[in-house]
Amino acid sequence: MNAIILSAIWGVVLMFCSVLIKNKGVYRHIAALGLLVILAGNIHETYHGSFFNIDTHEMLRFSRFGLFFNTILLAATLLYVLLSGRDVEKAGGYVAEYFTLIFFVLCGASILTSFNTLLMLFIGIEILSIPLYILTGSDKRNLRSNEAALKYFLMGAFSTGILLMGIALVYGGTGSFMLEVPRSAIMGGYKGVSFLEVTGLLFLLVAMSFKVSAAPFHFWTPDVYDGAPSVFTSFMATIVKAAAFAAFLKLFEARVGDTSAAVDWKLLLSIIIVSTLLIGNVTAVFQQSVKRMLAYSSIAQAGFMLFAVFSLNDVAKEGLLLYATAYSLATIGVFAVLIKMKDVTFEGFNGLARKNPVLAATTTICLLSLAGIPLTAGFFAKFSMLSAVIKTGTYTWLVVVAVLFAAVSAYYYFRVIQAMYFKEGDAQTEEVTGGFKVLLIAVAALVILFGVQPQALLNWFYF
Amino acid sequence: MPIQYYIALASCLFCIGIVGVLVRRNAIIIFMCIELMLNAVNLLLVAFSKMYHGGAALSNATTTAGVDGQLFVFFIMVVAAAEVSVGLAVIVMMYRNVHSVDVNFLNRLKN
Amino acid sequence: MPLLNVLLTAAPAAASSASNYFPIGLQLLFAIGFVATMMVGTHLLGPKRRTGDKLENFASGIESHGDARQPMAIKYFLVAILFVLFDVEVIFFYPYAVNFRGLGWSGFWSVLMFVGFFAVGFFYIIKKGALQWED
Repeated sequence: MNAIILSAIWGVVLMFCSVLIKNKGVYRHIAALGLLVILAGNIHETYHGSFFNIDTHEMLRFSRFGLFFNTILLAATLLYVLLSGRDVEKAGGYVAEYFTLIFFVLCGASILTSFNTLLMLFIGIEILSIPLYILTGSDKRNLRSNEAALKYFLMGAFSTGILLMGIALVYGGTGSFMLEVPRSAIMGGYKGVSFLEVTGLLFLLVAMSFKVSAAPFHFWTPDVYDGAPSVFTSFMATIVKAAAFAAFLKLFEARVGDTSAAVDWKLLLSIIIVSTLLIGNVTAVFQQSVKRMLAYSSIAQAGFMLFAVFSLNDVAKEGLLLYATAYSLATIGVFAVLIKMKDVTFEGFNGLARKNPVLAATTTICLLSLAGIPLTAGFFAKFSMLSAVIKTGTYTWLVVVAVLFAAVSAYYYFRVIQAMYFKEGDAQTEEVTGGFKVLLIAVAALVILFGVQPQALLNWFYF
Repeated sequence: MPIQYYIALASCLFCIGIVGVLVRRNAIIIFMCIELMLNAVNLLLVAFSKMYHGGAALSNATTTAGVDGQLFVFFIMVVAAAEVSVGLAVIVMMYRNVHSVDVNFLNRLKN
Repeated sequence: MPLLNVLLTAAPAAASSASNYFPIGLQLLFAIGFVATMMVGTHLLGPKRRTGDKLENFASGIESHGDARQPMAIKYFLVAILFVLFDVEVIFFYPYAVNFRGLGWSGFWSVLMFVGFFAVGFFYIIKKGALQWED
């Protein structure tokens, strides 16, 4: 509750800062301050309850899992603003509004981690998506940015239509928008699972796959991530995607059990997972631009995160928290460096190690974490996902497939490392400040810390 | 009228919307088709709401069962309006740059 | 294994069998057949004289020139969009107006909060000069 209300209010505050404060450099600090306040509020809520006492009529339910997820999202955003806040100022002419929209996205994300009715799922997804359409198109004169915004908007609105159809059909089948409907309470005396509910859930599966960019509904992702200004791609690929996964997990955790007699969810999800891993990893191999490669790799990482939705057990929930942390940390780190590069193709990274060893070293650590090399956070994230699958006892061959594709992913991540360390070249970067380097080193240190001592993170997650 | 008719009508409208999104090339018309999809959902929700209300009202005249379906429609309308404003702004922004709203122009990112 | 083994026990047993739909099918067939026959018939029987003047646009005697799609000031768009946004938001007053008494003070404070957010948005667009007609 704290996160939802405070982020909405802070968004409005920033909105008015654009009118009242003319100095563009200040907005970044106000945003960081706001994130600290919201983060503190959310942690306070986790252990001592909310500041606000509002009767939500069970439309929102604040579980430990959701609140931890909020903490991760807020901490990642704070890190993002600290690392890339300066670059947000360069994205376009409306700096305060960009930060405002980021806060509104966070408001949507914190609704998605705590929704308890399908109405709140819909509202949360829309609050999450609509600001993103604007952020994608923030570079108004750039045709690529325009194109990405239009594509994202049309695809997003289309998938919203499918989501709503799913919700309407589920309502038709059960007579309620609540996430968990007691079978005895269904009106009209239907005791079984109706055809409408099952069809509705299939629509919801498609719509959520759209939102988390799982194959075969991934095709908008590379174009949108490539066309959007890099600063906002970083935000979209991490915080937004993680929030969508939290919603996906929550929705299917509540609904799969009742309908598993009608639909073989595990088979459907395993098809989606395998095709996501296949398309994401194989296409990423052939990319010439690091930015586009990261877009495909984010599809591949989504395939791994889908294992949480596949397994739906405690290990999976813990694993999703771990994965969201590891993936967000590493991706924000890589993108922070990418934004500073003048040329975002692989050639642009040639010889970065010689020119700027700190940037090269931290990027390497983040890329290793994305590839899931041991001693980095990414390893334990992937490991816990796979152990969640093994714990379900079915479809264990998925683990083999996942490990194979993780090996493929190492190829394209190592291409960047190879370009930085073993190729001669003249990597052009923008000016980087000392503070930026210190923060990057801190990110890399966190990645290694969670890799060596995942207990530091996991001990803290108890439900 | 039995609920099946409403379901059939709504699915027809929804399918027209989907086909329109897939085959049309004009961004504004695609957008209108998306709106058609949303309105099919609205119709369906109202029909279900009435169905549940009618069922519950037989035993209890003052029941509020099924009202949530109609409230959902309000939310869909408002959110659709917000989406329209952002979407049309995006389309206008693109029109000012390329002087066309044809989505076939959207191939700069392919390579 | 079946991907979609839907339990149809839940759906109410279909009261009608396929034979009940026979009249509808007949009517559909007749309607389509009638329309098709008429269209083909008029096409074959009707006299045709194709001249250039017939294919011209009818423009009440005045020569048509130029394109009707003139560029318009972006201000119109902005005001129209803002109108749509603020107009549709009013929808939430309907449920409140109906349950005005029943919701009591807590409902009143909720609506006041809603109007507050609303007013903040309005204040913002005025401050940003979105409604200024003259540049």
